[in-house]
Amino acid sequence: MMAGAESFDVAVIGGGLLGCFAARELCRWRLKTVLVETRGDVCTGISRANTAIVYPGYDHKPGTLKAEMTVRANAGFEQLCRELDVPFSRCGSMMLSFGEKADAVLRKKYLQGMENHVPGLRLISGEEAREHEATLNPDVRLALYSPTAGTVNPWQLGIAACENAIQNGVQLRLNTSVTGILADSGVYRLQTDRGELSARAVVNCAGLSADRVHALLFPSDIRIAPTAGDYLLLDRTAAKPSHILQYEPEEKGKGLTMVPTVGGSLLVGPSERENSLDYAASEDGLASVRTLAKKLIPELNLEDTIRSFAAVRPIPQYRDGRRINSFVIEHPASGFWSLIGIRTPGLTCARELGLHIAGQLAYELDAQSNPAFNPVRKGIPRVHELTFAQRKQFAAQLPDFGEIVCICEDVSKGEILEAIRRGAVTVDGVKRRVCTGMGRCQGARCQQKVLELLSRTLQIPEHAVTKDGRGSEILRERHGSL
Amino acid sequence: MAVCDLLIIGAGAAGISAAVSAWNAGCRDILLVDRGEAPGGILPQCRHEGFGMASFGHELTGPEYAAHLIQQLSRTDVRFLPQTEVLSVSEDRKAIVSSRGTVDQIAFARLILAAGCREHQIGSLPVSGTRPAGIFTAGQAQEMINLRHQDLGDEILILGSGDLGMIMARRFTLEGKHVIAVLEQQAHYGGMARNYHRCIEAYQIPLRTGVTVSEIHGRGRISGVTIKNLETGTREYSACDTLVTALGLIPEQTLVQDIGERDWLYLAGNCRHVHDIADSASAEGILVGECAAAGLHLGA
Ligand SMILES: Cc1cc2nc3c(=O)[nH]c(=O)nc-3n(C[C@H](O)[C@H](O)[C@H](O)COP(=O)(O)OP(=O)(O)OC[C@H]3O[C@@H](n4cnc5c(N)ncnc54)[C@H](O)[C@@H]3O)c2cc1C
Ligand SMILES: Cc1cc2nc3c(=O)[nH]c(=O)nc-3n(C[C@H](O)[C@H](O)[C@H](O)COP(=O)(O)OP(=O)(O)OC[C@H]3O[C@@H](n4cnc5c(N)ncnc54)[C@H](O)[C@@H]3O)c2cc1C
Repeated sequence: MMAGAESFDVAVIGGGLLGCFAARELCRWRLKTVLVETRGDVCTGISRANTAIVYPGYDHKPGTLKAEMTVRANAGFEQLCRELDVPFSRCGSMMLSFGEKADAVLRKKYLQGMENHVPGLRLISGEEAREHEATLNPDVRLALYSPTAGTVNPWQLGIAACENAIQNGVQLRLNTSVTGILADSGVYRLQTDRGELSARAVVNCAGLSADRVHALLFPSDIRIAPTAGDYLLLDRTAAKPSHILQYEPEEKGKGLTMVPTVGGSLLVGPSERENSLDYAASEDGLASVRTLAKKLIPELNLEDTIRSFAAVRPIPQYRDGRRINSFVIEHPASGFWSLIGIRTPGLTCARELGLHIAGQLAYELDAQSNPAFNPVRKGIPRVHELTFAQRKQFAAQLPDFGEIVCICEDVSKGEILEAIRRGAVTVDGVKRRVCTGMGRCQGARCQQKVLELLSRTLQIPEHAVTKDGRGSEILRERHGSL
Repeated sequence: MAVCDLLIIGAGAAGISAAVSAWNAGCRDILLVDRGEAPGGILPQCRHEGFGMASFGHELTGPEYAAHLIQQLSRTDVRFLPQTEVLSVSEDRKAIVSSRGTVDQIAFARLILAAGCREHQIGSLPVSGTRPAGIFTAGQAQEMINLRHQDLGDEILILGSGDLGMIMARRFTLEGKHVIAVLEQQAHYGGMARNYHRCIEAYQIPLRTGVTVSEIHGRGRISGVTIKNLETGTREYSACDTLVTALGLIPEQTLVQDIGERDWLYLAGNCRHVHDIADSASAEGILVGECAAAGLHLGA
């Protein structure tokens, strides 16, 4: 195995949003890149559970990389989503104040936003805010209105970037964990549980493990202290706001965000909880989300909840416990880049961060630009988004696209088979690509059908099909026969 | 575009009965649409006995009850369109349908919606913890076991003691599985006494009242739950590898929720309100079928 260690120009570790975009942006140069991911699919970590906002850029101190990247990324989001064929909704946002302290925060953010050149920002009265959103709590007294805020489906964006990277020649190694890294006369040797890889450069995008992956080769003062947060998802029929609403609390840690997602549901959260490693929702956290949601929109019907879940934030801090606010981009040696603890607005900036690192690496590796780079990726056709005439024609040509499997989200068998063809190997992998089971019945009516399609297409027994990777088998092996 | 006098969406007990009665009342242009392969709705997956006492005078299984209805249907010239999903219904009385290779419009004069119901699922409850595999709704479990012959797990907890929960407790027991308990938040089981005696008592399945599931444990697959006593607030851990939720049924009215009441629109069966017994869904179907054929309006 040693002798046959495959060699690459760049090894990207971690197939979340950051790794997928780093890999994609590296394709702008003539570089042989491999993307290594522990799990059986991409975008199953932080990139799967977050608030899904494309931030406008008023949250960060002027002159910082975060501020600069966020504003630039936001301005380019339509084009990015057009290239990658993922839905993006520039729905605008309102940050809402109920008291003096929050008023002051909004004013500060407004000025900061002006300095950062965030377009269209306005401080508006509670009354005007209610003209935009009639159901807002009448106690809202001031709002920071930002027309450029938007929302995107984070994992669909990451998967699209990954598909585009593969299209441009990146090799994807799933089910492969990097367990050791050695620097050996100008190349990095990556030990994995599936043999060795060597590369002239490494981009560490290992999400919650990025500190540990970094420490495989370099000492570091920075580690990730994860904290969890809880979310609710409300059915698409819920009377929902049309803007992103952000509740700026009077009391620290009691904020809340509501996002009308591109899929039509309403995402509400997250709660703030300390030091939790676990993707396990907490009772208190969920209770506080419910209370705050009712405070923002008193008539919101929480019985429309279809799902609750937890997310984990990768908070970077120094060993002594001081938190770090900026994006941590470590560059301890030529050709080695680590993105450590990239939290909000890491989704917004995923492409900018990828481009930033790719550009630096291209320089370090003296790479030539790649004229064949194709930034365009075609998404899986969504029958639900077609007009009647288009849909009719489509089904006539491709019969599978007439067969509806997921009732709630109106997803056809054709879409599911295409998701599997493109790499979905689990029920959740299909869900992440084509939204099966995302609706009000949460898969109660389609999970078993998706399972059968996975089993048949991948030619694996039904009991080997998982919800989301090893250990999450849905069925038991039938002993005896039928 | 297809055209019909009377469009019936859903070929369960209510839809078939409505079709037959509208036919008998003289309506000659009826189209019955269902997403399933054969008529019957929920009935084919209800393999237990307990159907049809009122209509047929003796107890039948779900499939037997369905067979009776299908026989009645076969004596009519009602057109049946299987494996067809109705995607939408619009105010100008057109439905869009989708099936393998075909997406089409159906124009109708009158519509009976007999779309059944869907189940509450655990995501709507304030339950904390992880979101692993191994959680099924009772109807889903019933379909998987009875129609797909799948094996869901060995150590089963059932949340909810309505008829579905109790029937599934028995089903799992008959499959050789260990039903640890049926959990019910009320002080009393939720379903019919008949089902309690036949499914819970007869098989000595523990029924625990006044409790609920407050937390789910397990990473890949569910490994247990926290059971919370609603009176005392005490909590205990119970291991399981499968959680089946029987949390109640919701009439499936999505197709017409934006349309409201119309004199051409009728609802029948579980999509009008949840019926405990199929006879009652059928009876409603018969009545609604007659009204629709006569162009009478029934009111809400
Ligand atoms: C609660 C929350 C809300 C957020 N909201 C927003 C928002 O609204 N807007 C916004 O712009 N940003 C938001 N973010 C930030 C954004 O979600 C993240 O910055 C982004 O998803 C980070 O992606 P990632 O690729 O670093 O991590 P991940 O998606 O976790 O990817 C890391 C990958 O590395 C893999 N890996 C780990 N170790 C190894 C190894 N040794 N070998 C191989 N592979 C390995 C993992 O399996 C994983 O797939 C939010 C973040 C959180 C936590
Ligand atoms: C588990 C269980 C056990 C039961 N046990 C008993 C019992 O022991 N005895 C008893 O008397 N009763 C029992 N019942 C009750 C009885 O079976 C039901 O009340 C009755 O069968 C419901 O009939 P329905 O026609 O209203 O609905 P369903 O049978 O649910 O029929 C609705 C049909 O509409 C179709 N449909 C819905 N939307 C669309 C669409 N958009 N496009 C195409 N097709 C669509 C569905 O696929 C379905 O076939 C039980 C019910 C259940 C769920």
